[in-house]
Amino acid sequence: MKEHRLLSALLVMALIVVGCSSNDGIDSGNAGKGAEDEGNDQTSIGSEESEVELSFWTFGANYDSLIEEYTEENPNVTITIQQLDMEDHHTSLFTALSAGAGAPDIAAIEVSEIDSYKRAEDKFINLYDLGAADLEADYLDWAWEIGSSVDGDFLLGVPTDIEPTVMYYRADVFEEAGLPSESGEVEELLQTWEDYRQAAETILAKTGKKMVDNSEPVFKAKRDQASEQYFNEQGELMIESSPYMKQAYDDTSQWIEEGYIDNIGMWSREWRNGIQEGNFATLLGPVWMSETIKEYAPDDTNWRVAHIPEGSGNWGGSWLTIPEETDYPEEAYEFLTWLVAPEQQMKSFEERGTFPSTPEAYDDPDFTKKMNDHYGGENVAELFAEAALEVEYVHKGSLFEDVNEEILIGLDNVYDGADPEEEWQEVINRVERRVFR
Amino acid sequence: MAGLQRDTDKSDDNNTMSGSNKEPQKPKKRTFSQKQRNMASGYMFISPFYLLFAVFGIFPILYSFYLAFFRWDGLGDMEYVGFNNFNIIFNDPLFWKSLYNTIIIGLMGTAPQLIVALLLAFALNSVLIKYKSVFRLAIFLPYVTSIVAVAIVFSVIFSNQESGLVNALLGMFGVEPITWTRAEWGTKVAISTMIFWRWVGYNTIIYLAGMQSIPNDLYEASKIDGASLRQQIWHITIPMLKPFIIFTVFTSTIGALQIFAEPHIFQGRAGRPEGMSIVLYLYRDAFGSNFFGTASATAIVLFFIIIIFSSLNLYFANRIGRSKKVGVK
Repeated sequence: MKEHRLLSALLVMALIVVGCSSNDGIDSGNAGKGAEDEGNDQTSIGSEESEVELSFWTFGANYDSLIEEYTEENPNVTITIQQLDMEDHHTSLFTALSAGAGAPDIAAIEVSEIDSYKRAEDKFINLYDLGAADLEADYLDWAWEIGSSVDGDFLLGVPTDIEPTVMYYRADVFEEAGLPSESGEVEELLQTWEDYRQAAETILAKTGKKMVDNSEPVFKAKRDQASEQYFNEQGELMIESSPYMKQAYDDTSQWIEEGYIDNIGMWSREWRNGIQEGNFATLLGPVWMSETIKEYAPDDTNWRVAHIPEGSGNWGGSWLTIPEETDYPEEAYEFLTWLVAPEQQMKSFEERGTFPSTPEAYDDPDFTKKMNDHYGGENVAELFAEAALEVEYVHKGSLFEDVNEEILIGLDNVYDGADPEEEWQEVINRVERRVFR
Repeated sequence: MAGLQRDTDKSDDNNTMSGSNKEPQKPKKRTFSQKQRNMASGYMFISPFYLLFAVFGIFPILYSFYLAFFRWDGLGDMEYVGFNNFNIIFNDPLFWKSLYNTIIIGLMGTAPQLIVALLLAFALNSVLIKYKSVFRLAIFLPYVTSIVAVAIVFSVIFSNQESGLVNALLGMFGVEPITWTRAEWGTKVAISTMIFWRWVGYNTIIYLAGMQSIPNDLYEASKIDGASLRQQIWHITIPMLKPFIIFTVFTSTIGALQIFAEPHIFQGRAGRPEGMSIVLYLYRDAFGSNFFGTASATAIVLFFIIIIFSSLNLYFANRIGRSKKVGVK
């Protein structure tokens, strides 16, 4: 009798637990590429008799077909994939690592999150200990450096994909303003930010259109060209002492006041509409934005690509890591290196358009073919590849996004009429209160 | 002393008695009496909730009291800092701003809502209305929509652009377009509207249930005595609804102090000072910047604020419908 009761009580509890675990996370619009994400999704790939079971947590990109290939070649391995949207994925990973239990064998980490995990080296396996130094030559230097610690002794992750930034522009708007509109010509025309400003002036005068959708991409583009950003490698806040960020802020504010910058937030309806109808002349964005433009304006042939004046930055991408808890570091490493190897990055690029972090892929005829299918020109692939090679590593630090948010709030306030100088002081005050805790 | 003496005497007695009873020990096969077993099964029935609550409720609550005195980034070591976390948040103007925002949005979102809900319930309860169930359903519908969907729809309605729905409407009256997601009052109006729209139906249904429990004889008797509609509402409906009003005021206050999803989605993930609620403030602190100590300290301050507001509420809500002349029942 008693066992029965206990059993049914346990059953009820199990039901409740199962009921509670159904996940309805907020879909993250900012992830960009994970638009068709189905939310909580766990699949297991591999034969049932396999001895090694690896769990792999990822977000956005779907690696199922590659993993099927791997498990066929390595029948002793089964891989369980948990795919969430970007925010939920990092929350689960953070919680598991913090609790010290439940972390996967392999975890993807997004570029904006990776520095916060570097302070917990003891929770990850140093990939250099497993022989990762041999791989370094295959990857872009700056992408490799993002995955390693400040002193360079500890390798947290290896890049799977990256997101170099370029300038998308409307050929029709440039034409209407009497400016050259072909890709090579525009490249010639917009060598420096001053050229860009002059083009903005002409476009505003001739067509009444703004040069760019909002202040965020302008500030980001200028920020990413600086060799020193919010924090130095010692973790000190630099925005007041270093001239670069103030300069980027000042330039952006000036353009806001001169009317070249619109106030259309990314992913809003007006933004989508603007892309379809060419309500702004340029978009400064990463490679994934090329997919967004194609999706929003599939029949439009007016969008073109050129380099951002004075240099590219990186806006996205993820790195694969091995948490310390794993029971199979060797097998996890073997799988990880296979997945991020140039051949697999190329397959992944063909399937989903994730941009390879291995420069040898850029010469691949398939790469050139896929990249050149839109945006009018034949040298688009070359342009993206050049942008990727142009990026330089810069130290960010774990509170980078916090500082960034405050500066962007400041720029919005400038748009609404705040005095740029006073607002900058306010930004510094807000940042200091937010970061020093 | 004397009492103690007596107690020990008694226990001695008991001991000797049980000692003498030890010998026979015949029918005592069952170790639990029926009453005890009933009690045990009762606890079993409620245990799923309490066990889960202990793990996912009580433990985190106690743990955040503990965390509030430490500096912790979630991954590294904890460092004891005493009351420094409280010092930090009390010296942060944004903390006070978020508290102010929470109270203002709470007042704007719930006070009109409860009054309108009461009027709507009265209308739905009246004999004059046809298709009652259709109206009841329609008015309750917003409650079952997801907050995320509501916030997205409202961010289209309250778009910053001149062509946004509300801005276009205001434009007809010559009002300049408002930057809803950034303006000090624009944000608060938009968020309060969202809360109003989503919860008014829920409170209406509760009031309606309350009104249906009021016996009709009271109204009939008052009619015979010549009471007006206003007098009926004031002297019959509202006093009889008192427990329901207390309930809704109570839940609305606690809900209002915990506003989170609406500003979070309406203003974007980064948030802005105009719409920063206190829960959003602590959420950003903990899960954005990984300062779990100060975030826990904020949570504890919020805990005490909720206690204060709920007590005040209870005090005032208890006075509702107490006629001055008649006094205490």
